[in-house]
Amino acid sequence: MKQFLLKVEPVIWLLFGQGIMIGTMLLTGWVLVMGVLAPLGVVDSLSYEHAHGLASSLIGRVVLAALIALPLWKGAHHIRSLSIDFGGADRDTELATFLYGIAAVGSLLAIVAVVRL
Amino acid sequence: MARPAHPQAMQPVKPGRTRTAPPTMPPQFPMTGRYRAYTLFDATGFLYLFVGFVALRVVWALGTGSAAWASIQQQLANPLYIGFHVITLAAVCFVAVRFFGLFPKAQPPRIGPAKPPPGPVIVGMLYAAWIGITVLMSAALMGGIS
Repeated sequence: MKQFLLKVEPVIWLLFGQGIMIGTMLLTGWVLVMGVLAPLGVVDSLSYEHAHGLASSLIGRVVLAALIALPLWKGAHHIRSLSIDFGGADRDTELATFLYGIAAVGSLLAIVAVVRL
Repeated sequence: MARPAHPQAMQPVKPGRTRTAPPTMPPQFPMTGRYRAYTLFDATGFLYLFVGFVALRVVWALGTGSAAWASIQQQLANPLYIGFHVITLAAVCFVAVRFFGLFPKAQPPRIGPAKPPPGPVIVGMLYAAWIGITVLMSAALMGGIS
């Protein structure tokens, strides 16, 4: 597994880097409106029809898939890095497999979620 | 206090003849001096991982139907969710500011014949993209774009 992780490291770094860059850019507005302003009643929540219409367009699906999947890879890689810094190098292979596995499953579910819109 | 690092940290691929001291973690690690921002930057990974799955739940509910959409909106109004999102928003802004500051320093001096633009120009472009995408995303989620 360690050899496999080394082989796929460029792909993981690509997803991690885009998780920081694109994930952060997409998340800011999402978290601000969906997580804070709408629940507090500062702005109206989107109606189902409006939200579905936006999300089910091609651009909407791509944006939502990126918004879900990329932060997962950023999160997985940074938690792994934190673990190594705090003395977890001995169990790095197991933890990395677990974390990237979560990110991979989440990414697949993100694709399924936007396809079924 | 400095503490021992992992014994294989920074170990060369082939052992050389030069004797080296055992690796130790910097004395300021993890939460003093510059290491505070470094550690917090990594720790935002927990929030990113969790918020990704929250977003997945929201989109999944949208694909399920109007009742599920109304239900997830109600759940997001729970104070725990709101508190989590406020902390996440602060973390996202922290990541953006730190990463945009680091980005120009990580650029290669040139790629073939092309040189990257000066650092302040790169930073300016990143902030412009961030603000633009945030305004667009917010407008779309507030019903301003149909």
